Amino acid sequence: MNLMEWEVGIPGKAKTPWEGGLYKLTMSFPEDYPSKPPKCKFAPPLFHPNVYPSGTVCLSILDEEKSWKPAITIKQILLGIQDLLDNPNVNDPAQSDAYTMFKNDKAAYERRVKQQARENIPK
Amino acid sequence: MSSDYEYSDDDGDYYDDEEMIDGTQDDEEGSGDEMMDNFGDDFKVAPKGKHKSYEVEYESLSQQAVENMMQQDVDHICGIFGVDEDTASLLLRHMKWNKERLIEKYMDKPTSVLVAAGVSLPEAPPPPPPGRTHTNAATQPNSRRPTTRGTSKLLGLASGPKSAKLPASSPTATYATPKPLQRQPSKKADDAFVCQICFNDAPNLQTLSLDCEHTYCTDCWTDYVVSKVRDESEHSIRCMAEGCALVAPDRFIREILLPEPGAPILDSKKGEQNAKTWIRFQELLVRYFVACYHSLKFCPYPSCTNTVSCPSAASKSSLTTIVPTVSCGARGIGSEIQDLTQSQQFGLGLHGKEHIFCFGCPIESDHRPVICNVAKMWLKKCRDDSETANWIKSNTKECPTCQSTIEKNGGCNHMTCKKCKHEFCWVCMGPWSEHGTAWYSCNRYDEKTGVEARDAQSKSRASLERYLHYYNRWANHEQSAKLSVDLYAKTEKKMEEMQITSALTWIEVQFMKKAVEEVEKCRTTLKWTYCMAYYLGRGNEKELFEDNQRDLEKAVEDLSELLESPIEPENIPTLRQGVTNKTVYVQKRNEIVLEDTAKGFLEGRWRWNVKVEGFDDPEEQL
Repeated sequence: MNLMEWEVGIPGKAKTPWEGGLYKLTMSFPEDYPSKPPKCKFAPPLFHPNVYPSGTVCLSILDEEKSWKPAITIKQILLGIQDLLDNPNVNDPAQSDAYTMFKNDKAAYERRVKQQARENIPK
Repeated sequence: MSSDYEYSDDDGDYYDDEEMIDGTQDDEEGSGDEMMDNFGDDFKVAPKGKHKSYEVEYESLSQQAVENMMQQDVDHICGIFGVDEDTASLLLRHMKWNKERLIEKYMDKPTSVLVAAGVSLPEAPPPPPPGRTHTNAATQPNSRRPTTRGTSKLLGLASGPKSAKLPASSPTATYATPKPLQRQPSKKADDAFVCQICFNDAPNLQTLSLDCEHTYCTDCWTDYVVSKVRDESEHSIRCMAEGCALVAPDRFIREILLPEPGAPILDSKKGEQNAKTWIRFQELLVRYFVACYHSLKFCPYPSCTNTVSCPSAASKSSLTTIVPTVSCGARGIGSEIQDLTQSQQFGLGLHGKEHIFCFGCPIESDHRPVICNVAKMWLKKCRDDSETANWIKSNTKECPTCQSTIEKNGGCNHMTCKKCKHEFCWVCMGPWSEHGTAWYSCNRYDEKTGVEARDAQSKSRASLERYLHYYNRWANHEQSAKLSVDLYAKTEKKMEEMQITSALTWIEVQFMKKAVEEVEKCRTTLKWTYCMAYYLGRGNEKELFEDNQRDLEKAVEDLSELLESPIEPENIPTLRQGVTNKTVYVQKRNEIVLEDTAKGFLEGRWRWNVKVEGFDDPEEQL
């Protein structure tokens, strides 16, 4: 067992298109955690404006040069990511597919998100 | 003592041969140390006023000097606002060291400026003083203290030496301010405190907090500060709690990193790292201050911490008339090398190279006489692949059918494209079938289209050749300058040889070293004159410029040759005189080039053949 690698599941919030899905995420803690933030990566990569094609989450509290603080707990990180799911930050897009669809065709975006939720129903 | 060199009729009053050589001999009377300082004087050309037109006025500042400048600003703000030094320093940093703006903003809304700078918490304490004054800052619990609030309280009680590293128990025991520490449920239990980052609950755990009272153990703080400073080069270090914007004042950081006398001794490796981090932190503060001022620039040489102040080159527009070549005053690379003696460095080939750089642009060398914008343009051109494209354009043609690029490397004009098998005439590019029986002499050669094609081709080729002409010479001088390390080593050998084979002393063979230095300097000038000439618009001015360039180049080559010549014991006196004379001549020619070009910029005499920022557009495109 490697304590520096965590596998977690983030459930989509109720009453959002993300509801029902459990999104798998890996957290990799660096040697100098908590001075440096863990790397959070959706596996498989998620359709979301702030998730890089590699699956890595783009969130200010996960950036050591932005808002990362050693006192941020893992619970706070995960709640932050859960909150990000239905509240994407359009100023910081990380993938073009989800970003352009979110900007131009909200209805199609929502359909796609719902489909993704269905694909991620925990067995 | 007469000179038979041709330059004496050029301009007879450059110097006086006799005086110069006599000067060298006079030096023998001096003591060794004095000679060290003076031997260069033999070569000095009579100074014409303090500053030459190609030199800028600048001042080299040590890190300490810049820190003093910072301190002055801090003291000024302390005096006006009645705050302590740490607060003033954080406020100034927040405003990018713009004192005027800070004063204006602070007078308007002191509270919001203090919050934005990370000095105080957003929610002001219950009696929010409309005018935070001196007494407020000094006595209220909200004043900046690099310690826990508890500690500062304790300070008043015990009046002992200030210490941030008190065990958690002591501050909590004496803790008596309205807001209790959030994460310390029990006020006196020794083992009640658990650091919320590392979950260490050891009794007597040392803790720290800023005024926000987000308390964590000293080890967590240390790791955090070290990683911020060393990995991220960050000087603004905020509290470790999520969302807390308080910035740690310098004293707080100092107390984390530097153990106080009597403090428990850390393992030496960690202590050393912390001490290094503190040094780095101070350097970061200086770098930030320097970056905030246009008239200051940090020395770009590795591990050098000096700063140069050059107000005359602070504005962008000034860079069209001056080339601000400056030196931070330090020599050598790295502090350990600076400690070596001159001859040791000489032997290493470092010979205490001066930290010369351009104040106006990122070029880390002397690019006189050409101004920053043109030098940058040239370097970009040399780096870019645009010249490769130019070569392709000059040396290849495209197949009329499939557009493949074809280089003709021999044979007749009857071309068959390897790819599409199209047959065409290389000269007129028409299909070969139309050429009928006119083998090898294309009858359409002189037709209008053919002439046009040829013109376009030769024009492109001419521009390539022109560029290569300048580039090759530029690169040649650059290469020679790079080889100067070898030349120094060789010269040193020769100097030793001379001391053995002739009666000359160490000081008397220094003329060789001086000559090598001068050659190197002139090659730098020459190198950039080719960049200058490439972009200079055609005309009388350019011709005069190239005349000066030629004279300098000739003189430099003569001197180089002389330096390379074999040493025969009987020739040494002649060689010495020759080298000395030529060195002075070369120095003079270099000065002429630099001075004339610099004056040209001041007078606005130079015209370019391309668009250069700050100059009129070129009249004719080349």
